[in-house]
Amino acid sequence: MESVLSINRISKQYGKIQAVKELSLEVTKGQIFGILGPNGSGKTTTLSIILDLIKDDGGDYQWFGEPPTKESRKRIGSVIESPNFFPYLNAEMNLQIVADIKDLGYEDIDRVLRLTGLEERKKSKFRTYSFGMKQRLAIASALLGNPEVLILDEPTNGLDPQGIAHIRNLILTVASNGTTIIMASHLLDEVQKICTHVAVLSKGKKLFDGKVSEVLSISDSFDFDSVEREELIRVIRTHPSFQSLDSSKETIQVYFNKEVNPGEINAFFFANGVTLTHLSERKRSLEQHFLELLQNNQ
Amino acid sequence: MIKLLKIEFKKIRTYKIFWILAGLYFVFLAAGIAMAEFILNNMVDSMNKHLPIPVPHVNIYFFPDVWQNITFFASIRYILIFPAIIMIILISNEFTFKTVRQNVINGLSKAEFILSKLYIILMISVILTIFLSIGAFIIGISHTSELSTKLIFEKAPFILGFFITILTLQIYGFFFGFIFRNTGLAIALFTLYTFIAEPVLYYFLKSPIVFKNDISTYLPINAILRVNEYPAIPVLKKLMGLNLQESITFGSCMLPLFYSAIMIGLVFWTMKKKDL
Repeated sequence: MESVLSINRISKQYGKIQAVKELSLEVTKGQIFGILGPNGSGKTTTLSIILDLIKDDGGDYQWFGEPPTKESRKRIGSVIESPNFFPYLNAEMNLQIVADIKDLGYEDIDRVLRLTGLEERKKSKFRTYSFGMKQRLAIASALLGNPEVLILDEPTNGLDPQGIAHIRNLILTVASNGTTIIMASHLLDEVQKICTHVAVLSKGKKLFDGKVSEVLSISDSFDFDSVEREELIRVIRTHPSFQSLDSSKETIQVYFNKEVNPGEINAFFFANGVTLTHLSERKRSLEQHFLELLQNNQ
Repeated sequence: MIKLLKIEFKKIRTYKIFWILAGLYFVFLAAGIAMAEFILNNMVDSMNKHLPIPVPHVNIYFFPDVWQNITFFASIRYILIFPAIIMIILISNEFTFKTVRQNVINGLSKAEFILSKLYIILMISVILTIFLSIGAFIIGISHTSELSTKLIFEKAPFILGFFITILTLQIYGFFFGFIFRNTGLAIALFTLYTFIAEPVLYYFLKSPIVFKNDISTYLPINAILRVNEYPAIPVLKKLMGLNLQESITFGSCMLPLFYSAIMIGLVFWTMKKKDL
């Protein structure tokens, strides 16, 4: 796999606050990489470090397998925090400045304005834009020249539902063309819907990272019921992966410390002479996983 | 360099405040130069009422003195403040709008960002110097009866002094913009320093009680103003016992350049150290 971004144990301290602590991440080509964490978990600080806005206190990072330079930043399109443009210039002029810096021609400007739905307002001054339009112009500027990597910090923050849907579709379209996307978000739902990979941050530390599909498929609890409830409880306690159970509800919820599959568990009961009247697997959602990870870290 | 200048021109081309301030600067500059002789002669007239032997009217627009006089009146504090304030605004705006962050994110190095501002300062200084040279030349031609090449260009080096004055003053503004990053604060501090703090300090340092040697002339703004210290008006020499400059001196040009070099160094250093 071709490495796009490799972060190796970077740290950043603001006075007494440890914003990022020995964080390591690997992003490879074609991934939609979500950096998920509550506010203040170090997402924006991390993105600011890898874009040379903030100096780290230790550690290093590489873009495209090489030490970072301004040339590597020209291959990246980014939206960090608020959209930053000259309020007295129109959208087109603002994008021309971006194109000048990136050594691009102006022929791509109309395309990105069309993609973000701003074509009709391209001659309007930036300060006359609504918040949603400003956000879209920031994304348009990031898309200029088809960058190899797109970095988005809370891309749908403050947008209305229609705007959110538009931006999410746009991200997926861009990703389908092979652009690697690195996206910070505090919204699980967003990461779940868009990303292929995720790293969960809390207080500047990485708690977990992996494929979103794997995180979602972790199954750690089952609901059972049987006519002989006591027998069911006695038997399940003997299962090698048994962790705990909750019998206060209608069905008996059992937690396992390892992944078990429904077929195997059914066979186990059958071998021990228990006939189940109910068996269902509870898939733990990323949200639960996220909250648990955060709680364990408190 | 051309790429960076191109970007800078885009930033100011449709920026109204820049053009309003530039327009005001030209009005003040033109008015200052046009009215200087009139005001001086009014002063002479009022003085003559108390003098037994009347002083003749001054004449400041003929060759070769026109170079020295025009650059002197173009270099008084009240007129010079405009280019400095324009520079403060152009730089602090980048921090207010956070466009400096965006420029770096998009692939400009911090050093290139600083250089782009220095290039535009250089460009403005060259344009203003050429503009003033043409102005002085035309005024000189129309006010001098007998022209000779030697006479015309004798004091032309004063134009170089004006170039250094306008260049270094903008670099002071550049310094304030980069260090304070906030438009209002930077302008307020710069104006306070130029019109109040340094003049007070100047008189304080000048009094022999404080320091044996007079170091008041080394103050940064004063160093700039001393590049072309007095207009070429012989009557002033007689009345006030001033030593008039015949030409600009190397030392007086180097001092503001020295301050500018330190300020540029400090800007590079803070931009490297501080987060954007």
